[in-house]
Amino acid sequence: MAARIALLKYLRVEARPAQLRNPRLIGGSFSQLFKRQFSEEVRGSFLDKDEVRDRVINCVKNFQKVDPAKVVPNAHFQNDLGLDSLDTVEIVMALEEEFGFEIPDNEADKINSINLAVDFIASHPQAK
Amino acid sequence: MRRGFYRMRLNCCSDNKFFSSSTPLTPIPLPSPKETHLWYVIPSEVKGESLLNKYMEILSPCEKENVLSMRGDELWKSALLARTLVRTTIARYQINSSISPRSLKFRKSIHGKPEVDWQQGDHCEPPPLHFNISHTSSLVACGVTVNSPIGVDVETKQRTVKHNVLTLARRYFCDPELEVLNAIKDPYLQHQEFMKLWTLKEAYVKALGRGFSGAPFKTFRIRFGSAIGVSSHLSRTSSAEASEISVDLLDDSSDLTCNWQFMLLELAGSHYAAICTEKDVTNEGNREVPMKLRVWKTIPFVEDRCVSGTEAVRILCGSR
Repeated sequence: MAARIALLKYLRVEARPAQLRNPRLIGGSFSQLFKRQFSEEVRGSFLDKDEVRDRVINCVKNFQKVDPAKVVPNAHFQNDLGLDSLDTVEIVMALEEEFGFEIPDNEADKINSINLAVDFIASHPQAK
Repeated sequence: MRRGFYRMRLNCCSDNKFFSSSTPLTPIPLPSPKETHLWYVIPSEVKGESLLNKYMEILSPCEKENVLSMRGDELWKSALLARTLVRTTIARYQINSSISPRSLKFRKSIHGKPEVDWQQGDHCEPPPLHFNISHTSSLVACGVTVNSPIGVDVETKQRTVKHNVLTLARRYFCDPELEVLNAIKDPYLQHQEFMKLWTLKEAYVKALGRGFSGAPFKTFRIRFGSAIGVSSHLSRTSSAEASEISVDLLDDSSDLTCNWQFMLLELAGSHYAAICTEKDVTNEGNREVPMKLRVWKTIPFVEDRCVSGTEAVRILCGSR
Protein backbone atom coordinates (compact mmCIF):
# COMPACT_ATOMS: atom_id res chain seq x y z
CA MET A 1 0.00 0.00 0.00
CA ALA A 2 2.70 2.41 1.05
CA ALA A 3 4.71 1.45 -2.00
CA ARG A 4 1.73 2.17 -4.23
CA ILE A 5 1.22 5.60 -2.73
CA ALA A 6 4.93 6.35 -3.00
CA LEU A 7 4.92 5.22 -6.58
CA LEU A 8 1.91 7.29 -7.53
CA LYS A 9 3.45 10.32 -5.86
CA TYR A 10 6.61 9.74 -7.82
CA LEU A 11 4.85 9.27 -11.11
CA ARG A 12 2.73 12.34 -10.61
CA VAL A 13 5.69 14.53 -9.78
CA GLU A 14 8.59 13.26 -11.85
CA ALA A 15 7.65 10.84 -14.55
CA ARG A 16 6.26 13.34 -17.09
CA PRO A 17 9.14 15.84 -16.89
CA ALA A 18 11.64 12.96 -17.07
CA GLN A 19 9.97 11.65 -20.18
CA LEU A 20 10.12 15.08 -21.86
CA ARG A 21 13.68 15.84 -20.83
CA ASN A 22 15.21 12.48 -21.49
CA PRO A 23 14.80 11.46 -25.12
CA ARG A 24 15.93 7.92 -24.25
CA LEU A 25 12.90 7.31 -22.12
CA ILE A 26 10.38 8.51 -24.68
CA GLY A 27 11.20 5.52 -26.85
CA GLY A 28 11.20 3.06 -23.94
CA SER A 29 8.04 1.31 -22.85
CA PHE A 30 6.19 2.49 -19.77
CA SER A 31 6.79 -0.83 -18.05
CA GLN A 32 10.55 -0.44 -18.48
CA LEU A 33 10.48 2.98 -16.83
CA PHE A 34 8.27 1.58 -14.11
CA LYS A 35 10.58 -1.37 -13.45
CA ARG A 36 13.82 0.59 -13.46
CA GLN A 37 12.71 3.38 -11.19
CA PHE A 38 10.78 1.07 -8.93
CA SER A 39 13.77 -1.08 -8.08
CA GLU A 40 15.83 1.91 -7.17
CA GLU A 41 13.18 3.36 -4.91
CA VAL A 42 12.06 0.23 -3.19
CA ARG A 43 14.80 -2.21 -2.18
CA GLY A 44 13.74 -5.85 -2.35
CA SER A 45 13.02 -6.60 -5.94
CA PHE A 46 13.66 -10.04 -7.28
CA LEU A 47 16.06 -10.91 -10.03
CA ASP A 48 14.88 -12.53 -13.21
CA LYS A 49 15.26 -16.30 -12.95
CA ASP A 50 16.86 -16.81 -16.34
CA GLU A 51 19.43 -14.15 -15.58
CA VAL A 52 20.14 -15.80 -12.23
CA ARG A 53 20.53 -19.18 -13.91
CA ASP A 54 23.07 -17.82 -16.40
CA ARG A 55 25.06 -16.13 -13.67
CA VAL A 56 25.00 -19.21 -11.41
CA ILE A 57 26.11 -21.46 -14.26
CA ASN A 58 28.93 -19.09 -15.13
CA CYS A 59 30.02 -18.92 -11.52
CA VAL A 60 30.13 -22.70 -11.17
CA LYS A 61 31.89 -23.14 -14.51
CA ASN A 62 34.65 -20.87 -13.28
CA PHE A 63 35.33 -23.25 -10.45
CA GLN A 64 38.57 -24.98 -11.39
CA LYS A 65 37.61 -28.42 -10.16
CA VAL A 66 34.54 -28.53 -12.31
CA ASP A 67 34.28 -29.81 -15.87
CA PRO A 68 32.41 -26.95 -17.60
CA ALA A 69 30.70 -29.39 -19.97
CA LYS A 70 28.89 -30.96 -17.01
CA VAL A 71 27.47 -27.71 -15.70
CA VAL A 72 23.87 -27.93 -16.81
CA PRO A 73 20.80 -26.56 -15.00
CA ASN A 74 19.92 -29.84 -13.29
CA ALA A 75 23.51 -30.69 -12.31
CA HIS A 76 23.87 -31.94 -8.75
CA PHE A 77 27.03 -30.67 -7.05
CA GLN A 78 28.01 -33.99 -5.48
CA ASN A 79 26.65 -36.60 -7.89
CA ASP A 80 27.25 -34.87 -11.21
CA LEU A 81 30.05 -32.43 -10.57
CA GLY A 82 31.97 -34.54 -8.05
CA LEU A 83 32.14 -31.79 -5.42
CA ASP A 84 32.52 -32.54 -1.73
CA SER A 85 31.47 -30.49 1.27
CA LEU A 86 34.44 -28.12 1.15
CA ASP A 87 33.88 -27.51 -2.57
CA THR A 88 30.20 -26.87 -2.00
CA VAL A 89 31.04 -24.34 0.68
CA GLU A 90 33.40 -22.61 -1.77
CA ILE A 91 30.71 -22.52 -4.43
CA VAL A 92 28.30 -20.98 -1.94
CA MET A 93 30.92 -18.33 -1.18
CA ALA A 94 31.45 -17.67 -4.89
CA LEU A 95 27.67 -17.24 -5.30
CA GLU A 96 27.58 -14.87 -2.34
CA GLU A 97 30.32 -12.80 -3.99
CA GLU A 98 28.49 -12.85 -7.31
CA PHE A 99 25.09 -11.89 -5.96
CA GLY A 100 26.20 -9.67 -3.11
CA PHE A 101 24.36 -11.22 -0.19
CA GLU A 102 25.09 -13.79 2.50
CA ILE A 103 23.50 -17.22 2.32
CA PRO A 104 22.78 -18.39 5.87
CA ASP A 105 24.62 -21.58 6.90
CA ASN A 106 21.41 -23.34 7.73
CA GLU A 107 20.21 -22.80 4.17
CA ALA A 108 23.55 -23.52 2.49
CA ASP A 109 23.14 -27.21 3.24
CA LYS A 110 20.15 -27.40 0.97
CA ILE A 111 21.80 -25.75 -2.00
CA ASN A 112 23.37 -28.77 -3.62
CA SER A 113 22.39 -28.41 -7.22
CA ILE A 114 22.35 -25.62 -9.83
CA ASN A 115 18.56 -25.52 -9.87
CA LEU A 116 18.30 -25.28 -6.10
CA ALA A 117 20.84 -22.46 -6.08
CA VAL A 118 18.88 -20.64 -8.79
CA ASP A 119 15.57 -21.07 -6.95
CA PHE A 120 17.05 -19.83 -3.70
CA ILE A 121 18.74 -16.78 -5.19
CA ALA A 122 15.84 -15.81 -7.43
CA SER A 123 13.51 -15.86 -4.45
CA HIS A 124 15.80 -13.79 -2.28
CA PRO A 125 15.14 -10.05 -2.42
CA GLN A 126 18.67 -9.16 -1.27
CA ALA A 127 20.28 -10.72 -4.34
CA LYS A 128 21.80 -8.11 -6.63
CA MET B 1 18.83 -69.91 -14.41
CA ARG B 2 20.40 -68.86 -17.67
CA ARG B 3 22.01 -65.91 -15.94
CA GLY B 4 23.56 -68.15 -13.32
CA PHE B 5 24.96 -70.42 -15.96
CA TYR B 6 26.42 -67.48 -17.83
CA ARG B 7 28.03 -66.23 -14.68
CA MET B 8 29.46 -69.67 -13.97
CA ARG B 9 30.97 -69.87 -17.45
CA LEU B 10 32.42 -66.42 -17.02
CA ASN B 11 34.07 -67.59 -13.80
CA CYS B 12 35.79 -70.46 -15.52
CA CYS B 13 36.93 -68.57 -18.56
CA SER B 14 37.88 -65.20 -17.14
CA ASP B 15 41.10 -64.20 -15.50
CA ASN B 16 41.08 -66.14 -12.26
CA LYS B 17 43.24 -63.68 -10.44
CA PHE B 18 40.39 -62.05 -8.59
CA PHE B 19 37.62 -64.60 -8.54
CA SER B 20 39.21 -67.88 -7.64
CA SER B 21 41.72 -66.29 -5.33
CA SER B 22 39.17 -63.95 -3.78
CA THR B 23 39.17 -64.40 -0.07
CA PRO B 24 36.04 -64.45 2.01
CA LEU B 25 35.79 -61.54 4.41
CA THR B 26 37.97 -61.94 7.48
CA PRO B 27 35.62 -62.09 10.46
CA ILE B 28 36.46 -59.58 13.16
CA PRO B 29 35.09 -59.21 16.70
CA LEU B 30 33.08 -56.07 17.36
CA PRO B 31 35.08 -53.15 18.73
CA SER B 32 34.92 -52.79 22.51
CA PRO B 33 33.15 -49.65 23.80
CA LYS B 34 36.56 -47.97 24.15
CA GLU B 35 37.69 -48.86 20.67
CA THR B 36 37.23 -47.41 17.22
CA HIS B 37 37.85 -49.37 14.06
CA LEU B 38 38.76 -47.64 10.83
CA TRP B 39 38.79 -49.38 7.47
CA TYR B 40 40.02 -47.73 4.30
CA VAL B 41 40.47 -48.51 0.64
CA ILE B 42 42.53 -46.72 -2.01
CA PRO B 43 40.49 -46.63 -5.25
CA SER B 44 43.51 -46.56 -7.54
CA GLU B 45 44.60 -49.92 -6.10
CA VAL B 46 41.30 -51.57 -6.94
CA LYS B 47 41.55 -52.90 -10.45
CA GLY B 48 39.82 -55.34 -12.68
CA GLU B 49 36.38 -55.29 -14.18
CA SER B 50 35.49 -58.63 -12.61
CA LEU B 51 36.25 -57.33 -9.13
CA LEU B 52 34.25 -54.16 -9.69
CA ASN B 53 31.38 -56.28 -11.01
CA LYS B 54 31.55 -58.40 -7.88
CA TYR B 55 31.23 -55.24 -5.82
CA MET B 56 28.23 -54.10 -7.87
CA GLU B 57 26.54 -57.39 -7.07
CA ILE B 58 26.45 -56.76 -3.34
CA LEU B 59 24.78 -53.36 -3.67
CA SER B 60 21.06 -52.86 -3.32
CA PRO B 61 19.15 -51.93 -6.51
CA CYS B 62 18.83 -48.38 -5.25
CA GLU B 63 22.54 -48.07 -4.54
CA LYS B 64 23.38 -49.54 -7.94
CA GLU B 65 21.17 -47.01 -9.64
CA ASN B 66 22.77 -44.19 -7.68
CA VAL B 67 26.30 -45.35 -8.50
CA LEU B 68 25.48 -45.77 -12.19
CA SER B 69 23.98 -42.29 -12.32
CA MET B 70 27.32 -40.72 -11.38
CA ARG B 71 29.06 -39.12 -14.29
CA GLY B 72 32.80 -39.62 -14.41
CA ASP B 73 34.96 -42.67 -13.75
CA GLU B 74 36.51 -41.45 -10.52
CA LEU B 75 33.16 -40.46 -9.06
CA TRP B 76 31.51 -43.70 -10.05
CA LYS B 77 34.35 -45.78 -8.65
CA SER B 78 34.60 -44.02 -5.31
CA ALA B 79 30.79 -44.17 -4.92
CA LEU B 80 30.88 -47.92 -5.63
CA LEU B 81 33.75 -48.43 -3.21
CA ALA B 82 32.02 -46.42 -0.50
CA ARG B 83 28.99 -48.71 -0.57
CA THR B 84 31.16 -51.81 -0.92
CA LEU B 85 33.32 -50.77 1.99
CA VAL B 86 30.44 -50.14 4.35
CA ARG B 87 28.65 -53.37 3.44
CA THR B 88 31.70 -55.61 3.62
CA THR B 89 32.98 -53.95 6.79
CA ILE B 90 29.76 -54.37 8.75
CA ALA B 91 29.32 -57.93 7.52
CA ARG B 92 32.71 -58.84 8.98
CA TYR B 93 31.42 -58.37 12.49
CA GLN B 94 29.39 -61.55 12.12
CA ILE B 95 26.44 -60.21 14.06
CA ASN B 96 24.58 -63.34 13.10
CA SER B 97 24.90 -65.99 10.43
CA SER B 98 22.21 -64.53 8.23
CA ILE B 99 24.09 -61.30 7.58
CA SER B 100 26.08 -60.97 4.39
CA PRO B 101 27.29 -57.83 2.61
CA ARG B 102 24.36 -58.05 0.24
CA SER B 103 21.68 -58.74 2.83
CA LEU B 104 22.35 -55.61 4.91
CA LYS B 105 19.72 -52.92 4.74
CA PHE B 106 20.23 -49.25 5.46
CA ARG B 107 18.02 -46.33 6.31
CA LYS B 108 18.43 -42.71 7.34
CA SER B 109 17.84 -41.37 10.83
CA ILE B 110 15.28 -38.57 11.22
CA HIS B 111 18.13 -36.13 10.69
CA GLY B 112 19.30 -37.87 7.54
CA LYS B 113 22.30 -39.78 8.89
CA PRO B 114 22.72 -43.23 7.33
CA GLU B 115 22.41 -46.17 9.73
CA VAL B 116 21.92 -49.93 9.55
CA ASP B 117 18.32 -51.10 9.38
CA TRP B 118 18.69 -54.33 11.31
CA GLN B 119 16.15 -56.90 10.22
CA GLN B 120 14.15 -58.93 12.70
CA GLY B 121 16.51 -61.82 13.40
CA ASP B 122 15.56 -64.71 15.59
CA HIS B 123 16.38 -63.96 19.24
CA CYS B 124 18.77 -61.21 18.21
CA GLU B 125 18.87 -57.76 19.70
CA PRO B 126 20.11 -55.29 17.13
CA PRO B 127 23.75 -54.63 18.01
CA PRO B 128 24.65 -51.09 19.02
CA LEU B 129 26.97 -50.77 16.02
CA HIS B 130 27.54 -47.30 14.55
CA PHE B 131 29.38 -46.42 11.39
CA ASN B 132 30.26 -43.42 9.27
CA ILE B 133 31.86 -43.15 5.83
CA SER B 134 33.89 -40.47 4.18
CA HIS B 135 35.29 -40.48 0.71
CA THR B 136 37.51 -38.54 -1.60
CA SER B 137 38.37 -39.78 -5.08
CA SER B 138 41.66 -41.09 -3.70
CA LEU B 139 40.64 -42.69 -0.40
CA VAL B 140 37.44 -44.13 1.05
CA ALA B 141 37.17 -44.73 4.80
CA CYS B 142 34.63 -46.31 7.13
CA GLY B 143 34.74 -45.95 10.90
CA VAL B 144 32.95 -48.38 13.23
CA THR B 145 32.13 -48.09 16.92
CA VAL B 146 29.87 -49.75 19.44
CA ASN B 147 27.61 -47.71 21.72
CA SER B 148 28.81 -44.37 20.41
CA PRO B 149 27.91 -42.20 17.45
CA ILE B 150 30.85 -41.70 15.14
CA GLY B 151 31.84 -39.11 12.55
CA VAL B 152 34.71 -39.59 10.08
CA ASP B 153 36.10 -37.13 7.58
CA VAL B 154 39.01 -37.60 5.20
CA GLU B 155 40.61 -34.99 2.98
CA THR B 156 43.69 -34.97 0.76
CA LYS B 157 46.47 -33.13 2.55
CA GLN B 158 47.49 -31.25 -0.55
CA ARG B 159 44.01 -30.33 -1.55
CA THR B 160 43.79 -26.87 -3.07
CA VAL B 161 41.08 -24.38 -2.31
CA LYS B 162 39.89 -21.57 -4.57
CA HIS B 163 39.63 -18.97 -1.84
CA ASN B 164 42.31 -17.84 0.52
CA VAL B 165 42.06 -20.01 3.68
CA LEU B 166 41.66 -16.95 5.87
CA THR B 167 38.69 -15.84 3.75
CA LEU B 168 37.15 -19.28 4.19
CA ALA B 169 37.89 -19.23 7.90
CA ARG B 170 36.44 -15.73 8.29
CA ARG B 171 33.24 -16.87 6.65
CA TYR B 172 32.85 -20.33 8.20
CA PHE B 173 34.98 -20.72 11.30
CA CYS B 174 34.54 -19.03 14.65
CA ASP B 175 36.75 -16.12 15.74
CA PRO B 176 39.14 -18.05 18.00
CA GLU B 177 39.87 -20.50 15.18
CA LEU B 178 40.42 -17.66 12.75
CA GLU B 179 42.85 -16.12 15.23
CA VAL B 180 44.82 -19.34 15.43
CA LEU B 181 45.08 -19.49 11.63
CA ASN B 182 45.91 -15.82 11.33
CA ALA B 183 48.83 -16.27 13.70
CA ILE B 184 50.49 -18.78 11.36
CA LYS B 185 52.73 -16.90 8.97
CA ASP B 186 53.90 -19.73 6.77
CA PRO B 187 51.20 -20.19 4.07
CA TYR B 188 51.93 -23.90 3.72
CA LEU B 189 51.51 -24.53 7.44
CA GLN B 190 48.49 -22.26 7.50
CA HIS B 191 46.89 -24.30 4.73
CA GLN B 192 47.64 -27.54 6.55
CA GLU B 193 46.17 -26.21 9.78
CA PHE B 194 43.05 -25.12 7.92
CA MET B 195 42.61 -28.61 6.46
CA LYS B 196 43.07 -30.20 9.89
CA LEU B 197 40.48 -27.91 11.44
CA TRP B 198 38.12 -28.52 8.55
CA THR B 199 38.27 -32.31 8.84
CA LEU B 200 37.82 -32.15 12.61
CA LYS B 201 34.81 -29.87 12.31
CA GLU B 202 33.31 -32.08 9.62
CA ALA B 203 33.86 -35.17 11.75
CA TYR B 204 32.06 -33.52 14.68
CA VAL B 205 29.08 -32.50 12.55
CA LYS B 206 28.89 -35.99 11.08
CA ALA B 207 29.06 -37.58 14.53
CA LEU B 208 26.17 -35.36 15.65
CA GLY B 209 24.31 -36.54 12.57
CA ARG B 210 22.29 -33.40 12.00
CA GLY B 211 23.94 -32.20 8.80
CA PHE B 212 25.88 -29.03 8.12
CA SER B 213 22.85 -26.83 8.74
CA GLY B 214 22.12 -28.60 12.03
CA ALA B 215 25.47 -27.60 13.49
CA PRO B 216 26.86 -24.65 11.53
CA PHE B 217 30.65 -24.45 11.77
CA LYS B 218 30.57 -21.01 13.36
CA THR B 219 28.66 -22.29 16.37
CA PHE B 220 31.44 -24.43 17.79
CA ARG B 221 35.16 -24.22 18.33
CA ILE B 222 37.74 -26.96 17.95
CA ARG B 223 40.55 -26.48 20.39
CA PHE B 224 43.93 -28.16 20.65
CA GLY B 225 45.54 -28.18 24.03
CA SER B 226 46.93 -30.14 26.92
CA ALA B 227 44.83 -30.93 29.96
CA ILE B 228 45.76 -27.60 31.54
CA GLY B 229 43.92 -25.83 28.73
CA VAL B 230 46.76 -24.17 26.87
CA SER B 231 45.63 -23.48 23.35
CA SER B 232 48.12 -23.96 20.62
CA HIS B 233 48.07 -25.12 17.08
CA LEU B 234 49.58 -28.41 16.11
CA SER B 235 52.72 -27.15 14.46
CA ARG B 236 53.87 -25.53 17.66
CA THR B 237 53.02 -28.40 19.94
CA SER B 238 56.04 -30.56 20.57
CA SER B 239 54.23 -33.52 21.99
CA ALA B 240 51.45 -33.60 19.45
CA GLU B 241 50.40 -37.12 20.22
CA ALA B 242 49.63 -36.27 23.80
CA SER B 243 47.74 -33.16 22.85
CA GLU B 244 44.02 -33.32 23.24
CA ILE B 245 41.40 -32.05 20.89
CA SER B 246 38.18 -30.74 22.34
CA VAL B 247 35.10 -28.91 21.17
CA ASP B 248 33.36 -25.95 22.79
CA LEU B 249 29.91 -24.76 21.87
CA LEU B 250 29.61 -21.05 21.29
CA ASP B 251 25.85 -20.78 21.60
CA ASP B 252 23.52 -21.53 24.48
CA SER B 253 22.64 -25.04 23.47
CA SER B 254 22.47 -27.77 26.05
CA ASP B 255 24.64 -30.24 24.13
CA LEU B 256 27.30 -31.80 26.28
CA THR B 257 30.42 -31.07 24.34
CA CYS B 258 32.74 -32.52 26.96
CA ASN B 259 31.42 -35.92 25.90
CA TRP B 260 33.12 -35.80 22.51
CA GLN B 261 36.63 -36.98 21.76
CA PHE B 262 38.65 -36.62 18.61
CA MET B 263 41.56 -38.13 16.84
CA LEU B 264 43.44 -36.70 13.90
CA LEU B 265 45.52 -38.99 11.70
CA GLU B 266 47.61 -38.88 8.63
CA LEU B 267 46.65 -41.86 6.46
CA ALA B 268 48.84 -43.40 3.77
CA GLY B 269 51.03 -40.30 3.89
CA SER B 270 48.55 -38.42 1.76
CA HIS B 271 45.34 -37.80 3.69
CA TYR B 272 44.13 -36.29 6.90
CA ALA B 273 41.49 -38.33 8.69
CA ALA B 274 39.52 -36.98 11.62
CA ILE B 275 37.44 -39.23 13.86
CA CYS B 276 34.95 -38.01 16.41
CA THR B 277 33.22 -40.30 18.92
CA GLU B 278 31.62 -40.06 22.31
CA LYS B 279 33.78 -40.73 25.31
CA ASP B 280 33.22 -43.90 27.21
CA VAL B 281 32.85 -42.95 30.86
CA THR B 282 31.26 -46.16 32.01
CA ASN B 283 33.19 -48.36 34.40
CA GLU B 284 36.44 -47.29 35.99
CA GLY B 285 34.54 -44.72 38.07
CA ASN B 286 34.33 -41.82 35.63
CA ARG B 287 37.97 -41.99 34.66
CA GLU B 288 38.11 -41.20 30.99
CA VAL B 289 39.81 -43.80 28.88
CA PRO B 290 41.47 -42.54 25.72
CA MET B 291 40.13 -43.78 22.38
CA LYS B 292 41.89 -46.89 21.14
CA LEU B 293 42.14 -47.09 17.42
CA ARG B 294 42.69 -49.99 15.06
CA VAL B 295 43.11 -49.39 11.36
CA TRP B 296 42.90 -51.76 8.44
CA LYS B 297 43.71 -51.15 4.83
CA THR B 298 41.54 -53.31 2.63
CA ILE B 299 40.64 -54.35 -0.88
CA PRO B 300 37.38 -56.19 -0.09
CA PHE B 301 37.48 -59.88 -1.02
CA VAL B 302 41.15 -59.54 -1.99
CA GLU B 303 43.25 -58.54 0.96
CA ASP B 304 43.10 -56.95 4.41
CA ARG B 305 46.03 -55.59 6.28
CA CYS B 306 46.06 -54.26 9.82
CA VAL B 307 48.13 -51.09 9.52
CA SER B 308 47.86 -49.66 13.05
CA GLY B 309 51.29 -48.75 14.32
CA THR B 310 52.79 -48.70 10.83
CA GLU B 311 53.90 -45.84 8.59
CA ALA B 312 50.50 -45.83 6.97
CA VAL B 313 48.86 -44.44 10.10
CA ARG B 314 50.40 -41.47 11.85
CA ILE B 315 48.46 -40.19 14.83
CA LEU B 316 48.84 -36.42 14.73
CA CYS B 317 46.70 -35.50 17.66
CA GLY B 318 44.21 -36.90 20.08
CA SER B 319 44.01 -40.00 22.20
CA ARG B 320 46.17 -42.93 21.48
